[in-house]
Amino acid sequence: MAAGTTDTGWLSGRQVWAVTAGADMASAVIAGLLDAGAKVAQLGDDAETLAAGPPDAVKLTGSLASQAQADAAVEQLETASGLPDLVVISLLPKSALRLAPISALTEAEWRDGACEGLRALLYLLRALKPRIEGRNVAVALIGPSLSLVGCPEMVALSTLLEGQRGMMKSVARQWGGLGVTLNWIAAAPRALSPWFDAAPLAAKPDAVSVALGRGADPRTEIAPVLGFLGSPAGRAITGATLMLDGGEFMVP
Amino acid sequence: MTTPMDWTRQPGLLKGRTAIVTGAGGGIGRGLACALGLVGANVVIAARRASTGEETAELVRRDGGIALAVETDVADRAAVDAMTAAAVEAFGGVDIAIHNASSGLSGKAFKLDEVTDADWDEQVGVALGAAFHLAQSTLPCLQASTAARFIVFSSSQGLHGGAMNPVYTAVKSAQRGFVKALAREWGPHGIVVNGVAPAALTDAARTYLASDPARSAKAMASFPLGRMGDMRDDIGGAVVALCSDYWRYVTGQTIMVDGGYYTAI
Repeated sequence: MAAGTTDTGWLSGRQVWAVTAGADMASAVIAGLLDAGAKVAQLGDDAETLAAGPPDAVKLTGSLASQAQADAAVEQLETASGLPDLVVISLLPKSALRLAPISALTEAEWRDGACEGLRALLYLLRALKPRIEGRNVAVALIGPSLSLVGCPEMVALSTLLEGQRGMMKSVARQWGGLGVTLNWIAAAPRALSPWFDAAPLAAKPDAVSVALGRGADPRTEIAPVLGFLGSPAGRAITGATLMLDGGEFMVP
Repeated sequence: MTTPMDWTRQPGLLKGRTAIVTGAGGGIGRGLACALGLVGANVVIAARRASTGEETAELVRRDGGIALAVETDVADRAAVDAMTAAAVEAFGGVDIAIHNASSGLSGKAFKLDEVTDADWDEQVGVALGAAFHLAQSTLPCLQASTAARFIVFSSSQGLHGGAMNPVYTAVKSAQRGFVKALAREWGPHGIVVNGVAPAALTDAARTYLASDPARSAKAMASFPLGRMGDMRDDIGGAVVALCSDYWRYVTGQTIMVDGGYYTAI
């Protein structure tokens, strides 16, 4: 267990919306936001995954499969919790988490794995817009860092993640004038989910492969970074990719 | 004004190798096809319309090259398979596969709110669906080649997050992820996979620049080389280099072929 922040209350009373469709990559981060005093309303597409998450979050189920469904899901969030100060997004369809060479994928598997999570982000961001514009809201997307270096047998996932990251940048430019910031948190995959334990992840060959010798702890070390992005001190950061991998790849 | 490339210095550089170029009925793809033909490759021109594909083939042949035009909708898997089969039948294999085709909507400005499902499907289908089709379709041939190259035409928009069209930015960024992962997956097969992010003086760019000389002069100041790239000599030249043995140890990269426009990587 990494030694994280010992501060408490740095998100006291602030409203966080967490949208976590697909595989669970954000439960520990949400727990960290709750530790810091945030009120968290979590929207997921799977009741079982939601139930396994932090008990203190308000939990809602909804789909991002169409614009109408995304609008309805986000309306649920507003009704349940009021408008957000910080929005945390992790959209990784379970279909994207499959180890297989590209030659083994069917057309449908490719589409579901590489493209549907990208479309879901489009729908989600559009549903969020009227509720966050003009309010100095920070949007933080969380994903495993593997797409920045590539990973065999995960071409669809790598494609999806970089697509979401690209959309984040473009929308950061379009919405910067609306007072909305968007940023990407690229976390060490195994810090986000044990699912990656079996993945053939690239490793930085070096006498010191990971500068800190470990990835960031989501609860105590990633959640505070989100809190910073949502604070007045973080308002100047947008369109950025924050690599929270303990100093492994140090991407340019 | 830049001196045209002297292609006589590289005769036969890719002689005997067969290259597929998607979206080669015009624009950058046509420039790539002509460049590859000038250095001896057998060029398979995958074009959505037979007429424009044949026009490109004639240009390649006019310069002494070898070309085959195949009408191909790259978003249609069966059409891509048929095109690959035609390449194999004509030339015995495929060594180089270049996914250059891009949606006609790529250059259109959209606010995120304005993107329709049809716009989305069109852009994603051509950028990502077609990359998947071409990869699956050509893999057996590339595995059999001793100089296999798979190249995806991306864009600096995907890196710097162009505001103009968030779908285009997203799919071009996605292609970069595709390239990195595929390079790692296909490296053990000896297949080199790279992306290219060009800044090309296409007909559309030429029209845009001509419409406002003052604005164009300002835009050109963003290019250290002071100009956008010629589709055959600059963009095609870089691709010829990537396909040659000289660059066989470069993989998983997105190469900026943009006159120095974007240097923030």
